[in-house]
Amino acid sequence: MSKVNTVLGTIPAEELGFVSVHEHIGYGMPGSELDSKWWKTPEQAYGETVPKLRTFHESGGGAIVDATGICNGRDIDYYKTLSARTGVHIVASTGFVGGDTALPHFARASVDYLTQVFVHEITVGIGATGSKAGAIKVGVSRGGKMTELDRRIYRAAARAALSTGVPILTHLAIDAETSVAIFREEGLPLDRVLFGHVDDGPNAPITRDTWIAEQGGRLGFDTFGYETELPDPPFWARPRQERLDHFLGFVDTVGIGSVLAAADANCSPLGWPGVKGHTVNYLFEQLIPDLKDAGWDEARVHTLFVDNPADFLSIRN
Amino acid sequence: MTQFDGTPHPAGKAVPGTVNTVLGPVPAGELGVIAVHEALLSVVPGAEHAPDISMDRAEIFETLARKLSRFRDHGGGTIVDSTGMFHGRDVKLYEALSRSTGVHIVASTGMGPEEMLGGYFLTPQTNPPTPWPAEKFAELFGKEITEGMVVPRVERRGPAGLIVTATTREGTTATDESLVRGAARTARDSGVPLSLRFGADALRDLDIALDEGLPADRVVVGGLDRRDAVAAGAPLEVARRGAYVALDHAGSNDDPDILDDRTRAELLLDLVRAGHVARIVVSGNAVGVAKGRPDHDLPYEYAAQTFVPLATASGLTPEDAQRILVDNPRNLLTVR
Repeated sequence: MSKVNTVLGTIPAEELGFVSVHEHIGYGMPGSELDSKWWKTPEQAYGETVPKLRTFHESGGGAIVDATGICNGRDIDYYKTLSARTGVHIVASTGFVGGDTALPHFARASVDYLTQVFVHEITVGIGATGSKAGAIKVGVSRGGKMTELDRRIYRAAARAALSTGVPILTHLAIDAETSVAIFREEGLPLDRVLFGHVDDGPNAPITRDTWIAEQGGRLGFDTFGYETELPDPPFWARPRQERLDHFLGFVDTVGIGSVLAAADANCSPLGWPGVKGHTVNYLFEQLIPDLKDAGWDEARVHTLFVDNPADFLSIRN
Repeated sequence: MTQFDGTPHPAGKAVPGTVNTVLGPVPAGELGVIAVHEALLSVVPGAEHAPDISMDRAEIFETLARKLSRFRDHGGGTIVDSTGMFHGRDVKLYEALSRSTGVHIVASTGMGPEEMLGGYFLTPQTNPPTPWPAEKFAELFGKEITEGMVVPRVERRGPAGLIVTATTREGTTATDESLVRGAARTARDSGVPLSLRFGADALRDLDIALDEGLPADRVVVGGLDRRDAVAAGAPLEVARRGAYVALDHAGSNDDPDILDDRTRAELLLDLVRAGHVARIVVSGNAVGVAKGRPDHDLPYEYAAQTFVPLATASGLTPEDAQRILVDNPRNLLTVR
């Protein structure tokens, strides 16, 4: 049986159902908790979050991967209550969104130490919650090139992924030559890595998506819904049709086996205003109808949102 | 001032003639002997998330309560936690400690140097990710005085009694400069003093703070018993500018970069002889409980009980000793 770690325990992958593989219950840069302009009462946080998860569940959603990682407001006890009350499985991540978001204790640490931290969170649990991480988050710092710290985190993630069997999600897939080299050096099969945000507005033109697929990596078209049609789009937005064409074209030429899709939405953002009108439910409300319009049948949608994520998230050891 | 734990102590405009403690403003005359550059709970940012580091609250409290009680039993009146807002500060724990031990606790706002900041300040979610400018730091720190110190994402408590910042050892970075300017503006506008732990060049860092229109006697410069500072003549120059000189490594006797107690006492006497007794403060940079960094298990009473008597034996008068341990830090901490 294939298994996946969720915040409420380890479950069979067969139980995940429809998965959005890159989401956030709430993300905030480290230090944002000091700035009370962003604080929310528990009433507000639950009030913003529960209806979105409920809609997700009622639309057929089974699970989300929370790609928040350490130091960014990850709050496992909160996730547990949300999961238990809404019926949505939540897979939590260890690791870091990028070197930019690793606080000094971790930024100064060795690869060995970071590996131990990740392995502990995957095999023993996160803090005192008893919940085990089901994925490892890594990422490229602002600036376009992997920093020395980014590379240390990637290497530690590769080692932790190898020893525990959980997969890696990346924030950004730029500078992929560097990350692929690290994963190769560590002997990690590249289908254990989801190279994320290949569809991101500013980064898509400089992301070698086909090359990554040729190396055996998985591709995350996982910022669906961050589009220039929004009333107040963020700087990483992209025109809807352009993103859709990119995705459809990629699947046509490379195949559906290596792709995963998500919205990268915040249910209730922690240290930034968030993006009004953007939720995980974009997948049901806009993307799936768009895919159907493009000729996709149910089986294809099932492959994208059920089979591929189950295969990716299943602990492999 | 309430004694009930659940009620935040009122923040607001700082009251002249008082000192902001975690239990509210206290008349400056009640502080007694003050340990001005110490740490209660000191946590390297991020260490609280590390699986190999225990954050047992009851154990932390017990250790700190024992050390504070000992400080009190040796004549200590007030301790200043000079770690700022992002290095383990736990305002509610400090309130309970102060109530339990009777020691006045002054907690601080501010942060630095750049390396110790979170990504929120360094790589914000804007394009490009421009680090925070001075005015944003000033606003963040200022609210910790006018609205109270944060319990992150939960509530604000009493007002900070000190604004701390520090600059990078290898040289002041652009963000360090923003921190110093922001902290200096907060000090200027609130009447709460500034503690500046210099990085490479004490005078340059001090001049940045003074450039914001902050009177020099509202600043204490930390780390002036470092050998590089002494070699540069910084302690005397800082005092000449009118700022407080912190000889704040009392008890450090085997660090090649820092004076030992004997030479530290000589420096203190040099400053006194040069007419600057009113600008000297001494402290140990003791760390009550350290997480993610080496312990510095020095008793809080060390500076008053061991170091200053050493200086007294070398010629410091009892009156001057009293000024250094009581009057000077009180004058520094008293809200203008």
